[in-house]
Amino acid sequence: MKNNIIILGGGQAGVYAAREIRQNDSKSNIKILGEENLLPYERPPLSKDFLLDKKKEEDLYFYSSDVLKNENIEFENISINKVDFENKKLFAKNDNVYSYDSLLISTGSENKKLTLDNNLKNDIYYLRNLEEAKKIKEIVSNKNKITIIGGGFIGLEIASSLSQLQKKVIVIEIGNQLMGRIIPKQIADLVQNTHIEHGNEIILNKQIEKITKINGHYEILLNDNSLIETDFIIAGIGSTPTVKLFENTNLRLDNGIVTNQFCETSIKDVYAAGDVSNFYHPFYERNMRLESYQHAQNHGICAGKNIAGVKTEYTSIPWMWSDQFNLNLQLTGICDEYDEIIERGNDINNGVIYFFLKNNKIRGACGVGIIGKVGRDIRITSKLTEKDNIVDKQILTDQNLKLNKLIQK
Amino acid sequence: MSEENWIEVGSTDSIEEEDLIRFDHQDKTFCVYKLTDGFYATDGICTHEAVHLEDGLVMDDEIECPMHQGIFNIKSGEALSPPACEDLQTYPVKVDNDKIFIKID
Repeated sequence: MKNNIIILGGGQAGVYAAREIRQNDSKSNIKILGEENLLPYERPPLSKDFLLDKKKEEDLYFYSSDVLKNENIEFENISINKVDFENKKLFAKNDNVYSYDSLLISTGSENKKLTLDNNLKNDIYYLRNLEEAKKIKEIVSNKNKITIIGGGFIGLEIASSLSQLQKKVIVIEIGNQLMGRIIPKQIADLVQNTHIEHGNEIILNKQIEKITKINGHYEILLNDNSLIETDFIIAGIGSTPTVKLFENTNLRLDNGIVTNQFCETSIKDVYAAGDVSNFYHPFYERNMRLESYQHAQNHGICAGKNIAGVKTEYTSIPWMWSDQFNLNLQLTGICDEYDEIIERGNDINNGVIYFFLKNNKIRGACGVGIIGKVGRDIRITSKLTEKDNIVDKQILTDQNLKLNKLIQK
Repeated sequence: MSEENWIEVGSTDSIEEEDLIRFDHQDKTFCVYKLTDGFYATDGICTHEAVHLEDGLVMDDEIECPMHQGIFNIKSGEALSPPACEDLQTYPVKVDNDKIFIKID
């Protein structure tokens, strides 16, 4: 049967879903509606190799327009401002109307903004898309002292890049550790040391009271009355799922669009995938919302299969990375439900991994090391987590024993 | 195919099955693999970002990059999974008297 399938959101989840649908369904019309006038592109390099000029815009695109054309996938740059789920229609700002039989929502997430009581809104920069990355890259070339508000992945990756561009960088974090939302303190402290060794200043446990603009520079007043002078401010204080369009509809929302393990929402024929979805994970038996490259891709593919009628559970063990200076940090599974922590290695040059276990089974792990040093073990840990077996803790602890021995058992 | 292009990597027992070793020659670096059906060789550096695949995970006929989990087919060099999209160069391998040789042009 030939259906009209619309994918709302032209990011990674959307484009992977589109191609997966086409793999399983040669007849249906597939149209991606994207708010950015760009083909889907990779975001991870924006804060790293793009700022450092090691990657250009043309290196970022997932696919050329020819790939999508050859698979008969339409891509349209349009902004939707109303959804009528009952009649299966989307309304665009320019009065275009799009009818669908199946809809995938992959609108992603958006930056939380600082709440400031004066007119500095346009003076604070954020980095999520290519346009913002281009602006930051252009402006920082003339600035020296740069302050980053928020010590999460994005803030620290920018801090690492700007330090490599010989900038004086200050990071202000409200919490008592860096990357506190998902990274264990043991690992965060190792990353913090590396930033300090490279000359970055890290300020923890401080809130911004006021920002004042004086002669093109800024004064940031913190809650301990200390004052930071800076030439440029970038904020990375977290993100929220992009769901404004659905707020007054019947679509069930709770920290994103609530979906089951098949990417199905509370409304028939409406699916959600990627950052915007708060999905049920059958292995962890709970809902979660993830913002990562691997998840956007795999969740998009899973949604694509389900839309094409190939009923598929989403069971991917979460995995994410961050690259800062010469470090590669990786996390797999979840690290906030455990009754035991096991450490493997204690030298960042060879890699350090913390395993989080519950009832003697691995639930997740987080590691950091010089680039290349933790990836294999983290990958094996994802497999071990999925196997859900009781593990030999001696092998986990001893870096001289290969972790793949546990898989072969 | 001249004989002098075959470079000795090491003995066949220097690699465990379903594993790899790094091999450096002049200014180039390679990975040499032992799979269930023989030995194979590829470039050492991932085509996505400059990280050596020596710390990657070998699974069946595939090598997975330790940095961002890009996956390549070891035998063909084909990039199988993003973020890797550019294929990996492969090299002919032969075994002679329990020694592994790769042919570098």
